[in-house]
Amino acid sequence: MSAVASCDEMIDRSGRVRGHWAPLLEAVRDVGHEELARRAAALNRQMRLAAPFGAAPTRHYDPLPALLTPFEFSGLEAGLLQRAQLLSAALQDLYGPQTLLRDGSLPPALVLGNPHFLRSLHTQTPLNFPRLSLYAADLIRGPDGHFQVLRDHTGVIPGLGHALSLRRIASGTVPELFRAGGLRSLRPVREMLVDNLQRAAQGGLVAVLSAGAANPALAPDAMDDALLARALGVLLIEPGDLATRNGGLHMKTLSGLLPVASLIRGLPGIDLDPLEQGGRPGAGIPGAFGAIRSGALKMLNAPGSALMEAAELAGYIEPLFQRLLGAAPLLAKASGDPVASASRAPFVSGTSLVSPPILFRLYAWHDGNTWQVLPGGLGFGLEQTNAAQGIILTGMKDLWVLDADEPHIISGAAQSDVPRRTQFLAAAHLPSRVADNLFWLGRSVERLEAAARLLMLALPRLESGTSLPRDLAERALIAKCLAQAGLLPADLAGGALSGRQLRGALARRKPVTGQLKEVARLVNAASERLSPSMLATVRFALNQATESLPNEELALPAMLSFAATFAGIAAENMSRDGGWLFLEMGRRLERAETLAENLAILLNAPPERLEPGMALGIELADSVLSYDLRHAGILAPGPVLSMLLADSGNPRSLAYQFIVLRSCLQHLGAEDDAESLKQLQQEAVNLSGETIGLAKPLAAIAARLRLISDHVHRRFFSLLPEAHQLEDELELEAAQ
Amino acid sequence: MIYRLHHTTTYDYAEPVVLGTHFMHLLPRARPGQFIREAMLSVSPQPETRRDETDHFGNITTTISLTAPHRQFSVALSATIEVEQPPPPPPAQTPRWEAIALWGLKDPDVAEFCLPSALAKPNGEIADYTALSFPPGRTILAGLLELNLRIWTDMTYTPGVTNNSTTAAHVFKTRAGVCQDYAHFMLACLRALGLPGRYVSGYLRTSPPAGQIKRRGADQSHAWVSAWLGPEIGWVDFDPTNNLLVSDEHVTLAWGRNFQDVSPLRGIILGGGRHSLRVNVDLDPVLT
Repeated sequence: MSAVASCDEMIDRSGRVRGHWAPLLEAVRDVGHEELARRAAALNRQMRLAAPFGAAPTRHYDPLPALLTPFEFSGLEAGLLQRAQLLSAALQDLYGPQTLLRDGSLPPALVLGNPHFLRSLHTQTPLNFPRLSLYAADLIRGPDGHFQVLRDHTGVIPGLGHALSLRRIASGTVPELFRAGGLRSLRPVREMLVDNLQRAAQGGLVAVLSAGAANPALAPDAMDDALLARALGVLLIEPGDLATRNGGLHMKTLSGLLPVASLIRGLPGIDLDPLEQGGRPGAGIPGAFGAIRSGALKMLNAPGSALMEAAELAGYIEPLFQRLLGAAPLLAKASGDPVASASRAPFVSGTSLVSPPILFRLYAWHDGNTWQVLPGGLGFGLEQTNAAQGIILTGMKDLWVLDADEPHIISGAAQSDVPRRTQFLAAAHLPSRVADNLFWLGRSVERLEAAARLLMLALPRLESGTSLPRDLAERALIAKCLAQAGLLPADLAGGALSGRQLRGALARRKPVTGQLKEVARLVNAASERLSPSMLATVRFALNQATESLPNEELALPAMLSFAATFAGIAAENMSRDGGWLFLEMGRRLERAETLAENLAILLNAPPERLEPGMALGIELADSVLSYDLRHAGILAPGPVLSMLLADSGNPRSLAYQFIVLRSCLQHLGAEDDAESLKQLQQEAVNLSGETIGLAKPLAAIAARLRLISDHVHRRFFSLLPEAHQLEDELELEAAQ
Repeated sequence: MIYRLHHTTTYDYAEPVVLGTHFMHLLPRARPGQFIREAMLSVSPQPETRRDETDHFGNITTTISLTAPHRQFSVALSATIEVEQPPPPPPAQTPRWEAIALWGLKDPDVAEFCLPSALAKPNGEIADYTALSFPPGRTILAGLLELNLRIWTDMTYTPGVTNNSTTAAHVFKTRAGVCQDYAHFMLACLRALGLPGRYVSGYLRTSPPAGQIKRRGADQSHAWVSAWLGPEIGWVDFDPTNNLLVSDEHVTLAWGRNFQDVSPLRGIILGGGRHSLRVNVDLDPVLT
């Protein structure tokens, strides 16, 4: 225990609820503790669903805000501005003239020996943007009621995405609390920040730089980066999306390379540039440092800015206030055990409230002229670990700055809270990587559906078939289709296949499980282009499908149901921009190819023996009912082929796939590929009038579709091959 | 002494390189005792953009980008350089090594060269090895000359057994390598005692002065060590590969904490397939 007891944010020393907490506490009572526990669970669920790339948020979110009075905030605001100014000035000096080293204010060995001191960014003339543009401070309120700085954040700014998003999500899960009292809106400041970023970019791209699904560990908090990009209405990109040309950075998009003007950095600045620092090109952005020095690229914050966070320098910061600003620090530095001295605040724990020590994190940004402080931020529960590791942050909550002048009711997840979309989110500016992922997502979902459909048709028939010639023929056809789809080893496809053999192959090879895993991987990789609600529904359906495994046979209906959910969501929830076009193309190409391949097998017979194949074909294409209704169930080649190949009104016919594909390609300006689709459609119509020699042309159609798929891939996705480092091995012999 | 320097680096690629970005330390810097009369770095094919900058250490860097497909990439440096290195004072008149370590750490221009770096990191064995040449109270230059001689004696000059990422600790074990390894070895020794040392890249005159043996590392890029002898005397260079106190046979290109800071040519390329490299260096005195 500390000498002076820590204070409580909500209760004063005499045990009374502090005035500014009363309305909130009343609202909490009205909601009731049981309900509040449910709302807390709902909030955490919502946040989990908002996580990109399948990354689960690591912390717990608390529905109760922490409160700051206008008076408290104005004190913090002034203190934060001053600290940001100081750290910014120190960085400008250390990466420039280094007078702080020459006059002995900072020990040279501590600065120059720090791994965060990036020599590549030490320049003779200042950069054309401030090295520090975003700043956050961790504070506690000491026993005397005054705020103290525990930690500065000057490199990657943790939690800014949460600070800008948590309120919007909480207002939907605990709207009652928002009726309690007036609080300052984050919107004006956020809009200023966005305007400022866009203005400084002068028409170039602004994006949040994070690690992708491939290397999530590179980014300290990929989820926060995704929330930040969404809150600011800018793109979320990863190193692989970028290419250096002529000294500047560009994003690879469907419409070519677009110049990037500003990046909000979610990745550590160390090892960011393999060109100057060595290492694998894919792990960073070759040429980034040069682009920054030449003024072609702004980075918030500049690489190397994390230097000011160094623990070794902490003891030398306070005296700098006098030296650089000519003033004493407005905020004191925390000393002693922060967990014992920090004030306490209410958090929801089950159906009761607990009061752990609380840490406040406030954010500031530089608008080109001066520093602005976000009238909000985050609160964290503080927990003591063993002495070596210090403290850990537990539950995260929103920070409200109260303001009697603001309107009392902040409406729920209001329309007005939706960030403005910028021109860069248009279809043509879709990063190639994202389009690639969506294309394969479309293909993989369709492939899963086709596999499920084929297996559901195959299993009962293999089980109950007689040795009548028609049944034998049917089973042989099914075996070939299964082998073609990769659901059965090729050596089993030749002989008489039994249900037992197929079950055995499924149990051994688990093809459906593998396909579902691939779908899950692609859902994660493409998650940034799926809306949170869409993502939530898709993941829910995906979980259900996964739970129905491992028995693949019993799980088949769940696979079909997942595919149907996915298709429905995509059709109803995705705007028809670049992202949807690629998902749709993937789906249609896969469906057309599978259908053409299956029909090439099923219709490979003389006209008098076409009947079993036609029946299976109609069933595989889910067209039994329509056929029966139209043709009274009498199978004849003419109507069957017309329905499967040429019917532009049947969403499972070849012609239908071709029409949709052609329209997608036209939208994307791929006129030559669109023309090929037109020819294919004509061929499908022509084929529907034939009864002999169908197999070959159908196989040829499948082959043509594979070529078109390759072409789409080359045209849109493989804009750039992988770069590599020019090996130094030979050069070494030169350095002797 | 006035030198004419030619250094050509040529990469031949099996496949066309469609894009190349290169970062080079290939223009010589000035230093006390070295005056650059003229220096020109020409690049072929003609780069789309080129930027010459001065880095943290005061070296000159060149960044270029090539956007036209090419099968050959070559960089040619030609320069006229004047070298006039006055000899250091007699060893007995230099400060004690302990004082150098103390001063170095406090001097912002010297401090970082006292600290371990990736390829020149001391360990206990290296510290013991060094201590033999630096008993308490010895003057810095006496210790350095002895250390230079010991490294030259203990190492075997062996091309091909090390590479660009070989550490001093490894070299200490194998006692074999090329100039870069000799330099890292000596730097690790200095840093074991907190003594300031710089890795210097540069060139050695092609033919030795009349009557002297052929030097190792001539006709090639060379590397050696610069040690700090205090604020009065400043930096003095040692070439452990040839057991020389550097005077006017060496031309400095760039310096840093170790090789990685002054890598002559780095690049990120697209395409290219296999490649071969040719390097040609000539450093000849201009007859006046």
